[in-house]
Amino acid sequence: MVKVYHKSKTPALKKVSLTVNRGQIFTLLGRNGAGKTTFLRVAATQLLPSDGKVEVLGSDVVSEAAKIRKKIAVVPQEGNTIGPLTPWDHVYLTLLARGMTRADARDRTRKVLDQLEMTSYQSKPADTLSGGLRQRIRVAMAVATDAELLFLDEPTLGLDAISRRRIWSVLKDICREGRTILLTTHYIDEAEILSDNVAVINSGTLVTSGSPKELLSKVDERVRVDVTGDRFTEDDLARYGRPVRIAERWRVLTDNKRAGELTIEAVRRNCDVSVSPVSLEDLFVDLVGGEEENATMSGDEK
Amino acid sequence: MSVYHTLRSSVVIGYMLSIAWVRRNLLSLVWLFATPFSILFLITVTSGGHAFVQATIGTILFVLATVGTGLAGDATWYRLEVKLQDLFVASPVSQMGYLLGIALNGLFFATPALVILLPVLVYLGLPLIDLPLVMLAVCAVWLFSATIGYIVSTYVTNLRNGWQSGLLLSVIVAVIPPAFYPAEILPPNILPIAYLMPTTHASLILRSFIGQTPELAYWSPAFGWTMLGVSLVVALLVMLRLARWRQP
Repeated sequence: MVKVYHKSKTPALKKVSLTVNRGQIFTLLGRNGAGKTTFLRVAATQLLPSDGKVEVLGSDVVSEAAKIRKKIAVVPQEGNTIGPLTPWDHVYLTLLARGMTRADARDRTRKVLDQLEMTSYQSKPADTLSGGLRQRIRVAMAVATDAELLFLDEPTLGLDAISRRRIWSVLKDICREGRTILLTTHYIDEAEILSDNVAVINSGTLVTSGSPKELLSKVDERVRVDVTGDRFTEDDLARYGRPVRIAERWRVLTDNKRAGELTIEAVRRNCDVSVSPVSLEDLFVDLVGGEEENATMSGDEK
Repeated sequence: MSVYHTLRSSVVIGYMLSIAWVRRNLLSLVWLFATPFSILFLITVTSGGHAFVQATIGTILFVLATVGTGLAGDATWYRLEVKLQDLFVASPVSQMGYLLGIALNGLFFATPALVILLPVLVYLGLPLIDLPLVMLAVCAVWLFSATIGYIVSTYVTNLRNGWQSGLLLSVIVAVIPPAFYPAEILPPNILPIAYLMPTTHASLILRSFIGQTPELAYWSPAFGWTMLGVSLVVALLVMLRLARWRQP
């Protein structure tokens, strides 16, 4: 898939090629502006591709969009709720507009509001609810449908840790029903916990893809050591492993033995130090650049 | 998508954006009264009451045209802020269903004005039996305006331009054509241009129902109805061809 926006010289997507299997949660991971939303919007038939072929559920997104649209639902990025409408109105009326019977729409609305722990707010106007609850309404509008494929563009943006976990649990349930989810996020912990497969996109290019386990196996090192402070130079740290600067700290990817040596040295120099196994976040930083603090923050840290 | 599903989704979307909204925000019904009734008041007072019939017709058409062209702003808001268009593009709802839905929402907000003004027209001489035809004519203006407003909204890239486009369109559709004033005062070389606008024909049709059949070159009620239908069909075809349901 290639996408070049009008009046833009730089392609938003440069020949990105991906396959998403049915019944999976597939996550597009990347920094802001990497091209995740563009990919998702093309696949969800909201945006025309500039070149290439994209098939969704066996149909072409350009010539057979109507066929695809019967089987999909989306949570658009950073949308809003409709002022005085309640969570119940949002979900129930969306289902009716999609063609569901009133009885089915009622059942599904009740179920999804319960799953997302919103029953006690279901009759309150959306504009009196918190941002997190409004985001949950938007997720509920897609999750409640009977769509085979859900496109979720940063569905947990701005949610607290507990709400995020609640949504993860609902998404896992959907997946167990055999439905497919394509989601974008820049929360790396979310991608690691939720996904069957992950693709990392950077500057419109597919950097890597695979299951979180496969991706982790691409990192040679097994341990990361975080050292805070300025008492080490990059050259000092390079003797212990591969250093990456993240905001006020250094992260060194290394093996168990050298992690022990670095920890002792850091304590000797009176630095704060922590040791943990490498994660998808380390791979991500490795792939898209270590200078950017925003891109590496997990949702909980944020 | 079948005609039934298109109509069903449009009624639901219309309900979602109007009745469900008004149930909790009753004041929003009042705003729409302000401008058209101000114009009615001004024309009536400055004409010493002589232009009340024409001003009433103009006000009815202005209300319907304004809720239609207002979609240039409203639909931009739904698309850019609420992401409602994105939500429905990636769903079984068709573009026509969506357009009719957001247009019905506007029609709902025009209802209070119509409830006041249509009985006034009856009082001024409109036979009750002709009321359905009058409603058909004004609804054609409403749908034409809504279609134009929606087409424009799909090209607008920021909200402020959306609202401003809506205001400009309402002037073009409802103020400049002879809705608030008699078409007879237009110079003969301007009249054919006025005939291009459905508001002109709706106004003349309404006048002829009240017994004030205009005496204009080339105009007859049959011509007026034909032009109303043609302009609506053309607007809908242009919408299907040019409106950006899916963004390029």
